[in-house]
Amino acid sequence: MRDGGENVVALSVEGLTRRFGGLVAVDGVSFDLPTRRLNAIIGPNGAGKTTLFNLISGEIRADAGRVRVHGQDISGLKPHQIVRRGVSRTLQIKSVFSGLTVAENVRTAVMAHEGLASPFRPAASYGAVNRRVEELVAQVGLTPHLDTRASALSYGDIALLEIALALANEPKLLLLDEPVCGMGPQETEQTVLKIREIAKTVDVVLIEHDMEVVFAIADEIIVMAQGAILARGTPAEISSSPEVQEAYLGAPEEED
Amino acid sequence: MTTVGISRAALVLLLTALIAVPMVLPKLGSSFWIDIVAEILIWSLLAASVNLLLGYVGLLSFGQALYFGVGMYGAALSVIHWGAGFWGGLAIGIIAAMAMAAIAGSVAVRLTWHYFAIITVVFSLILYFAAMSSKPLTGGDDGISFSAPNVLAFGNTRLSLADQSVQYYTILLVVALCYLLFSLVVRSPLGVRFMAVRENDRRAALVGINVYLTRYTAFVLAGALAGASGALFAFFGRYASASYMFYHVSGEAVVWAIVGGAGSLLGPLFGTGLLIVFREIISTFWEHYLFAVGAITVLVVMFAPRGLAGAWNDLLQLVTRSGASASAPTSSPATDPGLAKPAADTTSGG
Repeated sequence: MRDGGENVVALSVEGLTRRFGGLVAVDGVSFDLPTRRLNAIIGPNGAGKTTLFNLISGEIRADAGRVRVHGQDISGLKPHQIVRRGVSRTLQIKSVFSGLTVAENVRTAVMAHEGLASPFRPAASYGAVNRRVEELVAQVGLTPHLDTRASALSYGDIALLEIALALANEPKLLLLDEPVCGMGPQETEQTVLKIREIAKTVDVVLIEHDMEVVFAIADEIIVMAQGAILARGTPAEISSSPEVQEAYLGAPEEED
Repeated sequence: MTTVGISRAALVLLLTALIAVPMVLPKLGSSFWIDIVAEILIWSLLAASVNLLLGYVGLLSFGQALYFGVGMYGAALSVIHWGAGFWGGLAIGIIAAMAMAAIAGSVAVRLTWHYFAIITVVFSLILYFAAMSSKPLTGGDDGISFSAPNVLAFGNTRLSLADQSVQYYTILLVVALCYLLFSLVVRSPLGVRFMAVRENDRRAALVGINVYLTRYTAFVLAGALAGASGALFAFFGRYASASYMFYHVSGEAVVWAIVGGAGSLLGPLFGTGLLIVFREIISTFWEHYLFAVGAITVLVVMFAPRGLAGAWNDLLQLVTRSGASASAPTSSPATDPGLAKPAADTTSGG
């Protein structure tokens, strides 16, 4: 899948629409994201960014529109089926298996990816799974916390663990929803480094409020407002766009 | 000695004690208590059924008595009408309970929390009233009785449930096998899926787990445990009655599981044991002993929320930690309390 070069489309969204009662949260959004780029989606609160992610990951059903990942149509599939097709995501409020250790967390994700569901063989006895778990935990730098319960980790480490869970299915596409939300400067730096590293091998799309982070790491930015795409371009183009300035600074407060 | 070592030793001790029951108790002049221990073993499987759902996949069922009742009738009716033996009756009881759980579960596990709890009660009530009114088949409230079949017929040797020791060891064997299977399942990749769904069903789906199918599998397996419990109880009492399908019985199993400790393999066995022994002793001189059961439950939930098993584990930690010279705690507290993890993950628009 990765040998197609620059013209391969990582994520293609076509006329995606979702209404909540009278509110059109995502309104006929269409875009193609090229592979091997770190794409970011920004926009004010209520712009429909998270709803867009929920539509792509199958957690919410679209009223209309299609989603393709590397040419494969995933519209209408259930979340677990979409994960099995190589799309992973993290959540704005970090979501891991709090009562389990770091190793157990990652093992859960690896076993789900491998489709393992044997009712008898001990889960700890799968050598290949154990090696993969160690590899993933090392990849996000949590090896010292292998046997720590997730609930005892710092917030920044929970975010890293969530990324490890998302990487377990060897994703073709990784959706990160506000990866540095709620983090201190040090944790932000640690996470940004990790995202950059991951983006070398996986197509990453991220939603982020922290403009400093977005402009520092994104190759291309999509600006959303009121459920639609307002602008698209490189960080330099976006930062000088008058429309974007208006959406962020000039426009009156929107009601959600 | 490590916590694992102590737990293993305790398990061996428990098994030895259970094996010794029919030899020791008559010498103390209380053969009656052999049947009480057998009854505890049987009922503990119903508590284990609640525990599998509540402690391992996070579903609180108030309707497990339904599968207990189906297991009971499966065993009784197959003995009465088809001349099944003990093992055949047991198997039919378990399969019937699983089939019932497969039907009810296909609807019930689409719901969670109180909705799930309510629908399990509704299912058990519907079937309870159906069984109560189909007197010709079920005997209704009076039930139906049968004579105990042989456990083993081998040439001239016949092992019959009529022999108290044979009955006890048969029950112990079946119950031990159930716990063995239970322990294998919860440690397996399937058990890993169960716990993922219990911990965080949204994240479970987002790592590729089919949450519905996982809950459904657990529900059918819990039906099997309840069915085994019911079938054994039918053989133990030589009868089956629709009154055991009432949700009052389900509720009792929930109490046993919670007092014993949901989420631990053997906790519910001890919860069942404690409360049945308590009932046997106290009810002889105080008919309102259920007040005391209620009080015990409230105290456990308040002061030992992980039940007897949780208290036992805490005690083990304490003993081994003070015993060992300087073994560091396995987990370090969060470095920044200000950044404590939010309790729940909610979908928020952005």
